Amino acid sequence: MLDSVREIETPEGISLRLRAAGPLPRAQAWMVDTVVRLVLLMLAMIPLSLFGTGGLGLAMLAMFALLWAYWVACELWLDGQSLGKRALGLRVVNLDGTPVTWLPSVTRNLLRVVDALPGVYGVGLASTLVDPCARRLGDIVAGTMVVHTKETATGHQVPPAPALPLPLPLSPEEQAALVDFAERAGQLTVQRQEELANLLEPLTGCRDTAGVARLLGYANGLLGRP
Amino acid sequence: MELERISVVLRPRESREALDLGAAMLRANARAVWSAWFAFTVPAFLLCNALAVLVGVPWLGLLLTWWLKPLFDRVPLYVLSRAVFDRPPHWRETLRGQHAMPWGPTFAGLSWLRVDSHRALRLPLALLEGTSRQRRAERWKVLRRRLVGEASLLTWGCLQFELVLFLSVWLLAWWLLPQEWRPASLATFFRHEVHGAATAWTLAASAVAYLAISAIEPLYVACGFALYLNRRTQLEGWDIDLAFRRLRARLQGLGRVLGVLLCLGLPLAGHAAVPAAPPSRPASTPEQVFRQPLDEGDRRFAAAAAKVYRDPRFGGQRHVRRWELKRVESRVDQPVNPGAAPLGMFSGLFNGLLWLALGGAVLALAWFAWRWRGAGRDATQPLAPRANLSVVVDEAPAALPADVATAARGLWQAQRRREALALLYRGCAERIAQQLQLPYTADATESDWLRHAATLGDTARAQRVVVIVRTWQFAAYAGRYPDQAAFERLLDGWPLGAGA
Repeated sequence: MLDSVREIETPEGISLRLRAAGPLPRAQAWMVDTVVRLVLLMLAMIPLSLFGTGGLGLAMLAMFALLWAYWVACELWLDGQSLGKRALGLRVVNLDGTPVTWLPSVTRNLLRVVDALPGVYGVGLASTLVDPCARRLGDIVAGTMVVHTKETATGHQVPPAPALPLPLPLSPEEQAALVDFAERAGQLTVQRQEELANLLEPLTGCRDTAGVARLLGYANGLLGRP
Repeated sequence: MELERISVVLRPRESREALDLGAAMLRANARAVWSAWFAFTVPAFLLCNALAVLVGVPWLGLLLTWWLKPLFDRVPLYVLSRAVFDRPPHWRETLRGQHAMPWGPTFAGLSWLRVDSHRALRLPLALLEGTSRQRRAERWKVLRRRLVGEASLLTWGCLQFELVLFLSVWLLAWWLLPQEWRPASLATFFRHEVHGAATAWTLAASAVAYLAISAIEPLYVACGFALYLNRRTQLEGWDIDLAFRRLRARLQGLGRVLGVLLCLGLPLAGHAAVPAAPPSRPASTPEQVFRQPLDEGDRRFAAAAAKVYRDPRFGGQRHVRRWELKRVESRVDQPVNPGAAPLGMFSGLFNGLLWLALGGAVLALAWFAWRWRGAGRDATQPLAPRANLSVVVDEAPAALPADVATAARGLWQAQRRREALALLYRGCAERIAQQLQLPYTADATESDWLRHAATLGDTARAQRVVVIVRTWQFAAYAGRYPDQAAFERLLDGWPLGAGA
């Protein structure tokens, strides 16, 4: 089965899912970062331009910092998220899912020079397109990757209904599907709800509206409601 | 469409994540996609450029290739849709299969919808669902909700990627060009000479642009298709549908097995009746579950568990204190008059700060120098190695007592066994030196004395020297001391004993 997830199993048997971020979101984040840095530089230039040559020197220093230190500082002190990544819900993590530390961060940002070749991030783009985890060369060398952090909005709570006990035991995946159905039933049309409920006629023993109501009852029972 | 055969993991994703699913689909089916892509588009590209050269407007080839993109999009879409729901088709199948997809939307895409920024999302709807135009318009209204922004960003992003690849090739070529071949000034090149540039250059640009399009356009289509799949998963609960179908198949299989068993008359009636049994309230308290009253141990366990859950490390309540403004007032800044006086003050302040920083740096440097000078001096003095052997020897440089054996015995009885053995060893060494008429040197090692002892010409004496030296070495280096009797044996006879 095809997915953009890198799965890591810990010794305790817990599987961690890292949802790799591809070239498009990363390019958008880079754009945001570039605009932010340009604006910062402009704002710094306005007062500095009043000091003549000294101000120019300071502006150069600021530019250097924005070009090199910005990424490392953001990744270390803003949870692996530069401002653009934060805006797009991305994060830099180590390949095993741990937070990025300063050595990998410095490595991946020094190798930005290589990824930016020939001046327009051509190498980085090709690398992210080819790599299964969408890593650029700097990421591959530093052992890091960029992941999505935003969870899908499954905030729709299961609508309350009188709980019904399950007529026969179900596996955890099947139970999760029942709760999923109850949670997302509000987003589906009534016809589609009934269509799905009819699939489970062997479980509920009834069709259409009654079937949907039964499934909602099972889900409430699974969630431990009265 | 058979949902059971789908080959991607269905779950409701953020649309940004769905884009990455598109990239993953493309990567998994790269071979099928690009073989069909080149089989379809290379002839078109050649035709366009040949036409342009014939007409005498070489740049028309590039424009035509770009304009035909909606036509080319059909190929990756066909391959991916088949690959996701079935298996990746061969490129011949793909070319033949183009008849199965409607042509109307493609003509629309080539004419008035050419600059549509939602093309990627519109493609699967128009080409794969194959419904009438009116119905399609209704579907489009539902489908595009909340996805318009993402689809436009996708279009712009892919356009940028194409530009990046195009520029990368030219920049690389520019770097590899020898200095003398480059035009003197790029500005004059683009102003005058580019108009007279040979057709070959235009065709090269066209070819590079075509390659960039070839790399990115399938990605564009795949991402659009993934957005479409994700939206339909959200709208129609495809993942739930799949899970329910699996559950249904399992239940039906279970029912069939039960039916067969019942028909065979096996005593399984009780089990078979389980699904039909009247639903009873599920047991929820420990008494109900274990069917016995709680005892003292259970109560203690419950108390301990409750205590553990109260521990803040287990995610209990947390108090956060912080300062917040009581009244948030929107402060309107006074318009600053950019006169000379405040500016001068500001610059003076800045100047002072800089001087302060310089002073601080100098002070820090001085402190460092002072600190590390001290450390350096310490480091140059080598630490005296705490070797007991040399200490013992140094403590008694010349004053060897007249009766070494008595002195050694005295030390031994005073529990200074190490010193006693050192004295014994030293006495032995002096005795050898005496006998061989050698000058006694403090820097001779144990092996030196053993070698000297071998030249005594007396095997029994040499043997005794070996025993004494070994005993001393065991004591000095391993802290293993002989017992009283063995010590006495060392003192008796040659070299230190009264009879010597």
